[in-house]
Amino acid sequence: MHNPIDGLMERLARDMARRVSRRRFIGGLCALLFGGGAVPLLPVARGESAPPARPGSAADPGDPRSCEYWRHCAIDGFLCSCCGGSAHSCPPGTEASAVTWLGTCHNPADGRDYIVSYNDCCGKSECGRCLCNRNEDDKPLYVPSRSNDYNWCAGSQVGIAYHCSTARIIGLAK
Amino acid sequence: MKRGAACWVGLVLVCSRGATHLSAAQPSVPVPPAQANYMLNCMGCHIVDGSGAPGKVPSLRDTIVPFAVSPAGRRYLVQVPGASQSSLSDQALAQLLGWMVRNLSARSVPPEFVDFTAAEVAGYRRYPLINVRETRARLLALAAADRAGQ
Repeated sequence: MHNPIDGLMERLARDMARRVSRRRFIGGLCALLFGGGAVPLLPVARGESAPPARPGSAADPGDPRSCEYWRHCAIDGFLCSCCGGSAHSCPPGTEASAVTWLGTCHNPADGRDYIVSYNDCCGKSECGRCLCNRNEDDKPLYVPSRSNDYNWCAGSQVGIAYHCSTARIIGLAK
Repeated sequence: MKRGAACWVGLVLVCSRGATHLSAAQPSVPVPPAQANYMLNCMGCHIVDGSGAPGKVPSLRDTIVPFAVSPAGRRYLVQVPGASQSSLSDQALAQLLGWMVRNLSARSVPPEFVDFTAAEVAGYRRYPLINVRETRARLLALAAADRAGQ
């Protein structure tokens, strides 16, 4: 099947190869790599990483790479923070499953309970780092709506290969 | 030169699309109890707007209003296993269903819709629904025939 994005990229690449000299290309690429790193590319990303959501801050204490981090109270899987992603983003090459396991966790900083969505990242084989299996308030499989022993990647569009789990705050319970 | 610039823009876009980003904002206002119950008991599969996953979890966005305005449909909404077997009280389930009708439907909610009560939920909930798919299909066909007849 012909992919229009492949076609576009091929056209752009061939066009660039015709017009841009090798030195200019390397110079431009370096400028992009080193200069681009200094500026966050998308305003969306800056908005999302704004405090107080930043893990490790006073409002969100702890290390997202540790199983003891407060958001991981009902998690069962590999922590995406150890796998090239973060508590709220999937590593490159994987895609978040929309279908997911949810629970509430107690934030020790403000003493409130937050609703956490453990979206699995799918499409690559198991990450294998930072296995965390705390399962607080997890019920056996015969209580299907309160059991987390499912492969939620079954609901993703990229196949059932499970890579790691995020721990995303989606609401304040009380 | 202009073409060259377009190439760079393309490269930047490709490079910046590294990780799949999910929202990370930490909320400060509690969600209403009915919505919190939706998040904790339903949203895992039905996802945030009720549209589900194609071929795996049916969307409720177009069907919840037709169900909610007929007695048989209301019985179905209470008896569907995810609702009837949840750990919610009858009162909480009644409020949750009302919240779903008002907030997740792609169709406008007609004025004749009345909220669920704990007594209504209790009356339906104790009787299991055996053929979920067949019942759903039959009720939707009935609702469609009703609309066509009007």
